[in-house]
Amino acid sequence: MATTTDTAGTSRPTLFLRNATGLVKAWSTFDAFLYAFWSVNLVTLGLYGMSFVYTIPDGQLLGAVLLTGVLVTFLVLTYAQLVSAMPRAGGDYAWQSRILGGGVGFVLAITGWWFTLWLWTPIYANILVVQFFAPLAYTLGWTGVATFFGSHTGIFVSCLIVLAFVSWVITLGMEGYAKIQRFCFWLGMGGLVVMLGILLVSSHDAFVNAFNREAASLFGATGNAYQATLDAAKGSTAGVSFGNFGFASTLLLLPFLAFYLLWPVWGATLYGEVRGAKEYRKVFNAMFWGLWITVALVAVIILLIVKTIGWDFYYAANAAYWNSIFVAGSAAPPVPIWPYPVMLAGWLVSNHLFQALLIAVMGLWFFGWAGTLFLSSTRVIFAAAFDRVLPEWAANISAKRRVPYGSLILMIVPSLVVSAIWAYQPSFQGIFLWATGVIAITFLGTVVAAAIMPWRRKDIFENSPIARFRIAGIPVITITGVVSAIFLVFMLAEWSFNAVYGTSFSLNASSPIYFGVTYLAAIVIYLVARTVRKRQGIDLSRIHREIPVE
Amino acid sequence: MRVFYATDLHGSEVCWRKFINAAKFYNADVLICGGDMTGKAMIPIVEDGDSYELTLAGVSQRVGRDQVAEVESQVQRKGYYPVRMTSAQVAELEKDPAKVQTLFTEQMCKTVERWMQLAAEKLKDSKVRVFVAPGNDDEMEIDEVIANAPRVELAEGKMIDIGGYEMISSGWANPTPWHTYREAPEEELTKRMEPMLRDIKDMSRAIFNFHPPPFGTSLDEAPALDENLRPLHGGRALRHVGSTAVREAIDKYQPMLSLHGHIHEGKGITRIGKTLAINPGSAYEEGMLLASIIELDPKKGIKNYQLVNG
Repeated sequence: MATTTDTAGTSRPTLFLRNATGLVKAWSTFDAFLYAFWSVNLVTLGLYGMSFVYTIPDGQLLGAVLLTGVLVTFLVLTYAQLVSAMPRAGGDYAWQSRILGGGVGFVLAITGWWFTLWLWTPIYANILVVQFFAPLAYTLGWTGVATFFGSHTGIFVSCLIVLAFVSWVITLGMEGYAKIQRFCFWLGMGGLVVMLGILLVSSHDAFVNAFNREAASLFGATGNAYQATLDAAKGSTAGVSFGNFGFASTLLLLPFLAFYLLWPVWGATLYGEVRGAKEYRKVFNAMFWGLWITVALVAVIILLIVKTIGWDFYYAANAAYWNSIFVAGSAAPPVPIWPYPVMLAGWLVSNHLFQALLIAVMGLWFFGWAGTLFLSSTRVIFAAAFDRVLPEWAANISAKRRVPYGSLILMIVPSLVVSAIWAYQPSFQGIFLWATGVIAITFLGTVVAAAIMPWRRKDIFENSPIARFRIAGIPVITITGVVSAIFLVFMLAEWSFNAVYGTSFSLNASSPIYFGVTYLAAIVIYLVARTVRKRQGIDLSRIHREIPVE
Repeated sequence: MRVFYATDLHGSEVCWRKFINAAKFYNADVLICGGDMTGKAMIPIVEDGDSYELTLAGVSQRVGRDQVAEVESQVQRKGYYPVRMTSAQVAELEKDPAKVQTLFTEQMCKTVERWMQLAAEKLKDSKVRVFVAPGNDDEMEIDEVIANAPRVELAEGKMIDIGGYEMISSGWANPTPWHTYREAPEEELTKRMEPMLRDIKDMSRAIFNFHPPPFGTSLDEAPALDENLRPLHGGRALRHVGSTAVREAIDKYQPMLSLHGHIHEGKGITRIGKTLAINPGSAYEEGMLLASIIELDPKKGIKNYQLVNG
């Protein structure tokens, strides 16, 4: 018999425990922080996402990053409270199903966590190419390899590499993956410190010289490549200055930044059993610091880019690169690959081996993170299969290697199809831009569920540690849920109707079709499942129906 | 025949009430509680003049005499035992683990007795059969309380015929890091199962009701712990912790159905050869009754099944 006591600030014990299964000590906040930090990956997603902000030259990027951080904090607060009140529920699908109803929960979760993650495969692959394969190959002089990854087949092969890596990670299990993450975190952080150090100690003139030197050495550019890059983007970035601040334009940067800063809650499905208010703070801290340490590092990166690379050049280099791909008739810039800030910083050291090493080490930011691609999806598919909405085989696991082959098939086969579309039908690439938006809709469902939980699931709310969190009598979860909902609705409206974004319905006719098909498919699957199960004597509506207590 | 199976209620008053009410709510013919009925913690509600002090979920509060019953009910809802005492009694318990153990046993038996009475009242006009097989967290003393209950049958160690289906039950588990009350090495678990297995006439109509899930399935994955019982990697790293004895029994005898609990995170359904194995998981702390409804058919065996969050 073990007696454990918890003093909670008083001198006498407030709790007596006996020997019982599952009484574990609190997990380390650092471990949970690591997952949140990887989810808002400032290198892979952050640098990639911010390379598009040149389209709003009047916006103030640093201000927008800080504002997004503040608004996403409300999302973090909302999710942390949900984890605390319904700890075993297991994320968006279960929260929405229990609060909004099984059908709504299935449609919103399955579109966000299943269908949309197919679209993320080629996005991950593109990030792998522009941040790893292409710069590494050019730096090592393997031009043929670099150009291969720019071809249709090369793009498709990069998607296959991502799928193979992600599948391998899933077969390793979370424990193996967590070890990989830890290794990649420390080495990747080391690489980041080196990169920031180089930018800190180098002058702008040194950068101009280094850029011209490497543009000639690696890409055969002649003359002043730095100036030629600025000239190539003149039409897109006229008047760009770090000091520009238009409030409305700055708000328009938020949907771009959501590409990476929206995800500190990505691991909410994984937090497991939580006890009491102290653990609420632990969950919150993990997500909060994952977000805000990223925000702080991004601020440092931005300021160092301003100091050493030059803000106008940063915008111009991105504009010149993306225009050469998306704007018909645009000439290729003198350095015809994505202006990866890590590569540009590495050029300040005139040694190709060092440059390649820096790119390779910073590639760990990709490999430590990419395993997250299908982890949440497999959980949602499992949950839907256990609820009998999907067939039983969707939750099958192989006997020997413990591979969830059912859910992997449901992720990999469609991902192969969309990867082929991405690689060989570039005209459809607009729909891939909705990869962030559809998950934002899923989050919207969750924050609405959170906001109304104190009334819809009064029993759970009143007996949870968050019941005491109130402002002027209003539950804090309702307040944070409403603020998060407004933030998400703002971004969804902008993505849908503002022509600045490639997702706009007016620019991209395939977007509304994609939307219609996605949600219709989810509704059809649910209705078919309901009908089939009814014939089998299973009533899907009773899954979340609460049994009376009295 | 409709079977309603829930497990690991861990002292939650709300979950027990829901379990009993599930008979009417789901039109169930048989209710099975898979073990671990008793709570893990005792909360002292300390008398201080006209008021009482307690700390629940890390939050300290002081309530008046008129509110104390309400907070006791909140404590019970979470699966803990509320005990009114003076600060001197708290200090005495702190010094003497044996007294804590005695008080725990007393509280557990008292609560299980009340639950048995509740079942008798709620099911007095019903034909539903209710079975309980205490789990590894349940102390031995509660067996007698259940055995004496008028409307609940103690299933531990027996082969019971339920409408033509043969069910064998055991709440004993393979060793855990917490050294609980019904743990034994795998070989001993096999020995405990053997007499019951011999009693089964037709495995194609047999139900195994074993608290620990079979090893190496999706039903037995729990957070990996370090030597200080701290979850590794933020609780994300999972390991198989089920029973190899249970797994071998299922592999060898291939019963129609195998019901499990023990691993709250291991909610799921899996097939091991011809056997459908289920662990409905547990969310007792939320007052939510995770359960499974299994429809049995004389011709088809298992007609259908469903996990529910009642």
